[in-house]
Amino acid sequence: MKAYWKAFFLKNGVSISAYLLISIMIWLGMLIMLPQFFMFDFSFRFNLPPAELGGPKDVYTMSHYKYMVFGSEQASDSYNVVDVWVFVRTIVTAICVTIFDLALCYPIAYYLAHVARGGWARLMVIALIIPYWVNELLRAFAFKIMLGTSGIINDFMMWAGVIDQPIEFVLENYALYAGLGYAFILLMIFPIYNAIESLDRNQIEAARDLGSPWWRIHKRIVIPYAKPGITSGCTMVFMLTAGALAAPQILGGPSSLWYTQIIYQWFNQGNNWQRGSAYAVFLLFSTIVIVLLAMKAFKVKLGEVSR
Amino acid sequence: MIPAQTSEKLTRVFTLLFVLVFFAYLFGPLIVMGMSAFNTSSFPRISPWDCFTVEWFDVLVNDTDLMTGLKNSVTIAVGVVIFAVPLGLAGALMLTQVSSRLRPWYYTIVISPILIPGVVLGISTLVFWDRMGRMFNAGYDSFFYDGIFLTIVGQSTFVAAYAMLIFISRLQRFDSVQEEAALDLGATHVQTFRKILLPFLKPAIGSACVLGFLASFENYNTTIFTIVSQSTLTTVLASKVRYGINPSISALAVIIIALTLIGAVYFEILKRREEKYERDVERLIKAGGTDRASKASLLTNPAMIIATAIFIAGFGTVYFAGTIGVDECKAVIQEQKALETKRKVEEFKKKRMFKNAAPAIQPETNNSSAPEAEGKQEDSGSYNNIFAPTNLEKQIGGGASEEEQSSGTGSSNNLFAPENLNEQAGTNN
Amino acid sequence: MSADVQLDNVWIRFGDFVAARDINIHIQDGEFFSFLGSSGCGKTTILRAVSGFSEPSEGRVLIGGKDMAGIGPNKRPTALIFQNLALFPLMKVWENITFSLEVAGVGKAERKKKADELLDLIALSGQGEKMPNELSGGQKQRVAIARALCAEPDVLLLDEPLSALDLKLRQHMRTELRAIQQRVGITFIYITHDQGEALTMSDNVAVMSQGKIEQVADGTTVYDSPETSFVASFVGENNLFEGKVSEVSEGYAIVDTPSGRLRARNAKHNGEYQLKTGDDAFLFIRPESLKFADGGSYDNQIKANVLQHEFEGSFWQVFFNVQGARRTIKLSMVNDGGSVGHEKGSEAQLGFSADKAVATPVGMLADET
Repeated sequence: MKAYWKAFFLKNGVSISAYLLISIMIWLGMLIMLPQFFMFDFSFRFNLPPAELGGPKDVYTMSHYKYMVFGSEQASDSYNVVDVWVFVRTIVTAICVTIFDLALCYPIAYYLAHVARGGWARLMVIALIIPYWVNELLRAFAFKIMLGTSGIINDFMMWAGVIDQPIEFVLENYALYAGLGYAFILLMIFPIYNAIESLDRNQIEAARDLGSPWWRIHKRIVIPYAKPGITSGCTMVFMLTAGALAAPQILGGPSSLWYTQIIYQWFNQGNNWQRGSAYAVFLLFSTIVIVLLAMKAFKVKLGEVSR
Repeated sequence: MIPAQTSEKLTRVFTLLFVLVFFAYLFGPLIVMGMSAFNTSSFPRISPWDCFTVEWFDVLVNDTDLMTGLKNSVTIAVGVVIFAVPLGLAGALMLTQVSSRLRPWYYTIVISPILIPGVVLGISTLVFWDRMGRMFNAGYDSFFYDGIFLTIVGQSTFVAAYAMLIFISRLQRFDSVQEEAALDLGATHVQTFRKILLPFLKPAIGSACVLGFLASFENYNTTIFTIVSQSTLTTVLASKVRYGINPSISALAVIIIALTLIGAVYFEILKRREEKYERDVERLIKAGGTDRASKASLLTNPAMIIATAIFIAGFGTVYFAGTIGVDECKAVIQEQKALETKRKVEEFKKKRMFKNAAPAIQPETNNSSAPEAEGKQEDSGSYNNIFAPTNLEKQIGGGASEEEQSSGTGSSNNLFAPENLNEQAGTNN
Repeated sequence: MSADVQLDNVWIRFGDFVAARDINIHIQDGEFFSFLGSSGCGKTTILRAVSGFSEPSEGRVLIGGKDMAGIGPNKRPTALIFQNLALFPLMKVWENITFSLEVAGVGKAERKKKADELLDLIALSGQGEKMPNELSGGQKQRVAIARALCAEPDVLLLDEPLSALDLKLRQHMRTELRAIQQRVGITFIYITHDQGEALTMSDNVAVMSQGKIEQVADGTTVYDSPETSFVASFVGENNLFEGKVSEVSEGYAIVDTPSGRLRARNAKHNGEYQLKTGDDAFLFIRPESLKFADGGSYDNQIKANVLQHEFEGSFWQVFFNVQGARRTIKLSMVNDGGSVGHEKGSEAQLGFSADKAVATPVGMLADET
């Protein structure tokens, strides 16, 4: 062990070694790991006024987690229907959005990687990136304009005679879904694109020569090869959608609530940081568990994703 | 069976259609939002199109909330870049030195901030520094609770990870034998770092700074928690979009999109120039001799000149054209609206007569509650926005402004629809 | 300034793997010394230990009489020319050359002057403003040498510097390097797998195999008087006979082989003859020392069956089957215009002098490692 440190300092020189070690301690320790531990710890504590912190009442408790599932003791329902239902909706929507994005982006990624020609392909790449340089809030806002009751979509459809009352996109949460589907497209396309791009075009040609229909080519050749890319794309979209805050804040109607909004409310209005932390911890763990389960179900190894 | 030729053509057609529809989905909302910035209508939309104007850009600049937020965003972004980029560099350098057993664990930890939901990063930062503050018995005005400090720290957590990825990628092309050569020639480790490694990393440092700045600037999920009582551009934007909409936000979007396009064009030009230089160098090596390739001057580059000219022209047109003819256009619109209102009042009176005569007919009352809520929301939006010219009338008590939002289609938002009038009467009393 | 280099009982281990075992060498001040061996024999490891990039697991490295333990590469009076040259791609040629002065704090004007001097020395005058990627392979090679010389080292270390060059350039550079060394006068330590380079350029050669030094001597000695079977089979070509020593006297050994009773010089090591009666031995004779007996009298005569003639321009190579020899026997004769004189398939008598042959203890052969 001591030999390892000696070799390290010898290799890098004293100043550089110091820079490296201090930076790593600050970043990994103070910025990444410690705050997570503190938040985790916090979620098990009571919401006490500042004066009582550190005092006798400051003990560990499961009360916040209990509240999440069972609701407050004064409520009529035996379960915290609202919060649980919001959580379930958030997760289910995130899964659906992920699937939608996958279905939408896979053909585009494939097209970009194998069908489009050089200059045209580069143009397409730029065209894909530009919308994402616009702030996510503004993008959500754009959807709000388009899908409002007097927005252009409604106008167009009424003018075309398809409907005679404007569709309440926002209220019925369609705007939210459309906005969420839109928000993370880039993060789905590029991992898949990178994975497919390295596939030798000759394999596809060979398969086609042998008479394989296009859907089988994809099923047996392209998709298995692109699995790591698909997995990382889906993971990112799922985690970002479940954890999204901007789109729900802007596009969510009054009846819809996103789990992250509940967390925000505990901090902002409920003034119960401990409870908010508990909800946040729960979000973190459940999304990680879901991702790991999905990876197991589709037989993807963790190491492949990190490429 | 469809012959192979035709089925291939069909596939090609479908693919093209799919791609076009996809890009319509991608760009549509942005184009709509961009256009709405130039419509005089106080609620951002492009149909109906009232008048072309650039007044919303003025509104944007004069909005103090937004400007304060902008200043804070820039301050924070600069702070994040200064803090996070060196951290990311250290992280990348350590990766090459960590033992291969530890490496996967190390990599997982440093990548985690990218995967962890932004809200969790914000909350954990907030909680951590709050507890630290208590340990030191610090007051609420100390840096432990300062929004700017907390946001810089919170954002740096994941910006450093982005920076690290950029550095890792660049380092893979670095021949570390150079460092040995430098040491062998007598350089100290610090000199080697400064004179050999850093110059090689210069492009990566540049990318990391730019990416870090942009990532910090546009961040919302983490910032909304760590900013505490202050604001950034994104948090102001979010509250405005939620509570008080007007096209000045669309104007902001237009500016951002324009800057992005300029950036993309310049970037492409620079890249072409770099490629040409490399080709020249290769050519000259083969030719031998002492000639040297040089990078063409940017100032005389024709593409650069044309692009810059277009942008200046575009801005100029927007700036100057905007002051022409807006007022007259608005006056015309007002007149039209007034006439429309009158017509509607007449129609309503007639309908009321019929309604009294035929009480069995129940118009769609069940629609009123849900859309009412939305109408109220849009209502409250324009209530807050005192810049919209039409709101003056509302404050005076006129109903003309409602027409702005209903666009005369007889939707139940229309206060003059039979059902709503009763309710309106009820609430107004 | 020049210095001598000494390695005392140096062992270099990486975990369980022994890269260099019990190296004891004294390289004289001002000498051109080569380490010769194939890949993986440990020569690069020794070079890195001398230059300071690794510390020996056991033993000492002394330069100019001073123990170098704990002294880093930037503090040692050595300069290393790397196999891939490692020129700094983002610096100009003149900046590359004077880098050692730059880190020592020398001013720009003075550095430029020194750069011009060195550019003249390596015949690249006026090309100082170029970037390394604008140079050809040979030019880069010379810049690397100039850069190392600018640091005014006591010992210059060269790690297979010519391996990336084509044949003609390599031959040209061999002469150049030798000339530079004699002009500058400092100790050169050169590692290579190319025998031609080692033998033509060096004052002394250390032949290495699998971490061990097999023999240290000047080129002629290594060629004419190999001490081990590895050296005999690695340097140049050699015909091999195997047998048991039946008699040893006055520096010669008689080896009973299936091909006949053969007499050769007894190989020496550290001044002592290695073979004793009863030992198993290898007997080596070079192709150019083998002759057609044709009635003349030789110390050693063997019967052989002609397999093949090969014409190589200045030489004829003739191949034989000899009873008892495990490999084809080769004879080289100068092409003096005539023919070989012995047809394929015919029997021939071959002879060679005992003074030209060497007998060594049985050991590893070059192409078996």
